[in-house]
Amino acid sequence: MSRFFATGSDSESEESSSADEITPKATGTTFNKQFEEFTNIIKTIRNAMKIRDMSKCLEEFEQLYRAFLKSKTIMDKEGVPQFYIRLLADLEDYLNQLWEDKEGKKKMNKNNAKALSTLRQKIRKYNKDFETEIASYKENPEQSAEEEEKDDIGSGYTLSLCQDEESESEDDEESEDWGSDSVDSGGESEDNEGAAASLAVVFLKKYVYGDKHPERKKDDRRKRHKKMEQVDEEADEEGEGEEGGWEKVKGGVPLVKEKPKMFAKGTEINNAVVIKKLNEILQARGKKGTDRSAQIELLHALAGISNENNLGEGILVKIKFNIIASLYDYNTNLAAFMKAEMWKKCLECIDELLDILFENSNIFIGENIAEDSENLAISDQPFRVRGCILTLVERMDEEFTKIMQNTDPHSQEYVDNLKDEGRVCGIIDRLLQYLESKGSTEEVCRVYLRRIMHTYYKFDYKAHRRSLGLQGETKSEQDQEESEGEDSAIIMDRLCKFIYAKDRTDRIRTCAILCHIYHHALHSRWYQARDLMLMSHLQDNIQHADPPVQILYNRTMVQLGICAFRQGMIKDAHNALLDIQSSGRAKELLGQGLLMRNMQERNAEQEKIEKRRQVPFHMHINLELLECVYLVSAMLLEIPYMAAHEFDARRRMISKQFHHQLRVGERQPLLGPPESMREHVVAASKAMKMGDWKTCHSFIINEKMNSKVWDLFPETQRVREMLVRKIQEESLRTYLFTYSSVYDSLSMETLSEMFELELPTVHSIISKMIINEELMASLDQPTQTVVMHRTEPTSLQNMTLQLAEKLGGLVENNERVFDLKQGVYGGYFNRDQKGGYQQRQNYQRGGYRNQNQSSY
Amino acid sequence: MGSLKDSAVSGSNPLDSPVKQIQIDGLVVLKIIKHYQEEGQGSEVVQGVLLGLVVEDRLEITNCFPFPQHTEDDVDFDEVQYQMEMMRSLRHVNIDHLHVGWYQSTYYGSFVSRALLDSQFSYQHAIEESVVLIYDPIKTAQGSLCLKAYRLTPKLMEICKEKDFSPETLKKACVGYEHMLEEVPIVIKNSHLINVLLLDLQEKSMVADKHELLNLSSSNHLEKSLQLLMDRVDGMSQEIVKYNSYCRNLSKQQQQKQQYLQRRQQENTQRQSRGEPPLPEEDINKMFKPPQAPPRMDTLLIAGQVNNYCQNIKAFTSQNLGKLFMAEALQGHSS
Repeated sequence: MSRFFATGSDSESEESSSADEITPKATGTTFNKQFEEFTNIIKTIRNAMKIRDMSKCLEEFEQLYRAFLKSKTIMDKEGVPQFYIRLLADLEDYLNQLWEDKEGKKKMNKNNAKALSTLRQKIRKYNKDFETEIASYKENPEQSAEEEEKDDIGSGYTLSLCQDEESESEDDEESEDWGSDSVDSGGESEDNEGAAASLAVVFLKKYVYGDKHPERKKDDRRKRHKKMEQVDEEADEEGEGEEGGWEKVKGGVPLVKEKPKMFAKGTEINNAVVIKKLNEILQARGKKGTDRSAQIELLHALAGISNENNLGEGILVKIKFNIIASLYDYNTNLAAFMKAEMWKKCLECIDELLDILFENSNIFIGENIAEDSENLAISDQPFRVRGCILTLVERMDEEFTKIMQNTDPHSQEYVDNLKDEGRVCGIIDRLLQYLESKGSTEEVCRVYLRRIMHTYYKFDYKAHRRSLGLQGETKSEQDQEESEGEDSAIIMDRLCKFIYAKDRTDRIRTCAILCHIYHHALHSRWYQARDLMLMSHLQDNIQHADPPVQILYNRTMVQLGICAFRQGMIKDAHNALLDIQSSGRAKELLGQGLLMRNMQERNAEQEKIEKRRQVPFHMHINLELLECVYLVSAMLLEIPYMAAHEFDARRRMISKQFHHQLRVGERQPLLGPPESMREHVVAASKAMKMGDWKTCHSFIINEKMNSKVWDLFPETQRVREMLVRKIQEESLRTYLFTYSSVYDSLSMETLSEMFELELPTVHSIISKMIINEELMASLDQPTQTVVMHRTEPTSLQNMTLQLAEKLGGLVENNERVFDLKQGVYGGYFNRDQKGGYQQRQNYQRGGYRNQNQSSY
Repeated sequence: MGSLKDSAVSGSNPLDSPVKQIQIDGLVVLKIIKHYQEEGQGSEVVQGVLLGLVVEDRLEITNCFPFPQHTEDDVDFDEVQYQMEMMRSLRHVNIDHLHVGWYQSTYYGSFVSRALLDSQFSYQHAIEESVVLIYDPIKTAQGSLCLKAYRLTPKLMEICKEKDFSPETLKKACVGYEHMLEEVPIVIKNSHLINVLLLDLQEKSMVADKHELLNLSSSNHLEKSLQLLMDRVDGMSQEIVKYNSYCRNLSKQQQQKQQYLQRRQQENTQRQSRGEPPLPEEDINKMFKPPQAPPRMDTLLIAGQVNNYCQNIKAFTSQNLGKLFMAEALQGHSS
């Protein structure tokens, strides 16, 4: 019970839970106490009403409201007491009357007048919750009065009756409002109604509105006011006679909403009857007033009945299909996710359904089986049932994603929910088996893709361990059990290849390729991943794909980049990550969160759509790792490049992002020891610029960075070693670029000592630089030295070259101005003369020659 | 360095100005140099007021005083007030108190700017014979005093008066960068007593005191000059691009206008043949607003500045080449 009403404030829910635990006796005493409190407050209110003390009224009303909240649990169980409703109705009438009485209002003192208006507003708002009850009370106030004791409350009530007549016109207005309101609230209250349905005792009388024309109701109301003194039965009769649509539950008798009876007693339960009933239930589906949870109950009951009566699997399957469908229907809103219990039920249902399907191989299901060609009866023919299990499972998978999206990723709840992933996978696996034997290739492709989607992002630790040959060491029984399964790589390979071969929709194949690449990259199979990416030509046309596929593509590219980095392919890593990182919206591009943006760029609708695209937390790629990998690879590329092209005017940046970080670092007025990952990289870059590889190394690889970034890799040690090596090499290059102008010759041995690299490595690096004409030097073999040629232009020469270039540009621009003039005149005045045109050509050629000369 | 030196450069002869020559007292030169050494450093510029009077066709500058350096935050400092006060005080001690111009230091010869143009214009507008003295401390430090007097040409004065720097007016006025400023020859004059003292000092001074003159290193100075030159060339390019796009826009609009007129004419002839009244002539200029022409003054100034840099670099390099040859000869001789 408490779960349904846990929507209120915290204190309230606490109360309710405690109330649940207390023994019935205790509940009784609290009930009595609260009841007393109520009557006391109501008495004071009535008194205050008599002497027109509005401020007192307001005060008491607020108290009453609090008291009501306190005892809400009991109220929920017992229903709202009649006297409470009566008070509310009377108070409102009374207030309205006072409000109308302009004269009286003027006479009132300020406090009272103020209290009156606040109270009036409050009660109006408050009474909306009890509209039905109040309406019912107003219709036959006397009868309900009978139920309660008649002391001074009663007299106050008669007073209000007389007032009622006086304020008729005003009341009509009100009732009109209610009329229209109650139509709306009918829909709202339905959820609660469902809960209340199982309650045995409900105090109040219930009216079902058959006919909801407000005008007619108003009419009716007016008449009823006149006949107020008459006996209520008469009034009822007349009401019924006039409206017909008004149906009244017998007064005074507690309404029992009994468990819906499926069939009349004694009916022979056979296929036809059950199907008829099923259709009956299904017809209500999707209609506005339908109680969805009740529908699910009904369907369950129906399933039970058909099971009892051995009507065969066909009908059971049919019902199961519908149960699952109505479970999905439970949330009308697309954004809302399933409640936990619904979700559990759904999983169970699907499991059962699959059980049935596996046990009975003579059931054919399919979307394309027409309703009337279904065969549900037990006969020699196989069952034929309309419905698609695959769609249901797909929907289930989506629901699972939705649940994960809507759970706080740092809570225990998330972990609990994540445990269901195994079940989801299990179901998909079973479906896969089922469809492999029965389904069409198209369906198989779809279910394969589902399977792939649940596999591709998981790192296969078993296979990893096995490949390292450590299997024997850490082997418990469980491990052994696990390791018997197929390698995820093999599964991926098998499933993806099937899809490549058989799929006819482009989307599934694209997704499969991307997942395959992702999986390869995750397991450091760089070459396979890269080849697949290049062969698929996805890079050319991915921008035409829908956003979820693009997100998958982005994830794949990032994973590919990280994989390249692990393998020491710095350049490839940088290229793969460049697109994602340079936009500065990596988070959004990977579907791992929304960026703060103003509402102009994105309205609420778009935001909802984007939210639905988010990748669940357990599939996220660590953004800090991503950025760090990108920045470090940018550093390894950019720093030597910067050193080599110090004076080049046409130098372009390799990585804007990296330069931005450097600038941010430079802008800092006071440089403390680095804290964040970015600061570490910036500090390391500075050290590298000086060729100081040891400092650089200590900035990139230390405890902080290990815990933040490097430990996230599966092969931490190997990556770190690779990184050190790269830092040494690139530092050596930077050093040579920066300081070559200072040296006449350099011993390679010294260099190898300085950078702790082996002599052959140093030799090869320097040779490569010489070959690429990056370093103007030659190697002297016998002495193992590098001899500098000193052909690098001095800074003055560099500057002169730059100036020449600029002047070339200037001349070109000038030519253009002149050109334009020529063109204009040529076009205008001497259109037929060829001279102008020729002249212009000449000038162009001259300009070109100039340009040629000016660039060197 | 205090030697009597006439850096009279044969500039274009002033035509209609009464002043043909400027005679500066040694005192003024020394005061300017001192002012820079005390207050100017790096690329900072110092400025001051020149005092003197016109005698026949020459302008005698007999005294000067600096503008005080003041930061931007003391707003209540009134420069005009200060100048008046200063001149009044100087008159009390019987010094020439007529305002005849102003002086300014320069950094690697970069002085042709809008600010200089504006203030020189206002000076010349108020006092016809006023000039601006440009003092180059860097060249002076290299061993040769560099002090030049400039004034705006009458042509430029007229343009400035109208404040119209559109391409057409400049074209009509035939003002090129070489016609913006004119240099006035300078003579430095000392009293006989001082001349005697200087001659006496010259006797005593050693060659070693003049070693700045023989400094062989050139790259630093050249690099700086090149940098500044490049900066201006960039500016020039930008201006040209601006002008270019303006020209293109203009011609495009002309075409549109022409097309529009033709169409209108055709329509009118058709209407006439049908006997309908012709369409009313609309204001074409209203429909086709000519694009805003970029002011050309900046381009002119930049060109002037570039010219200035080039002159400087040329002078410097030719001097340096001479020095290098001399050094080579000396080396060959000694070895």
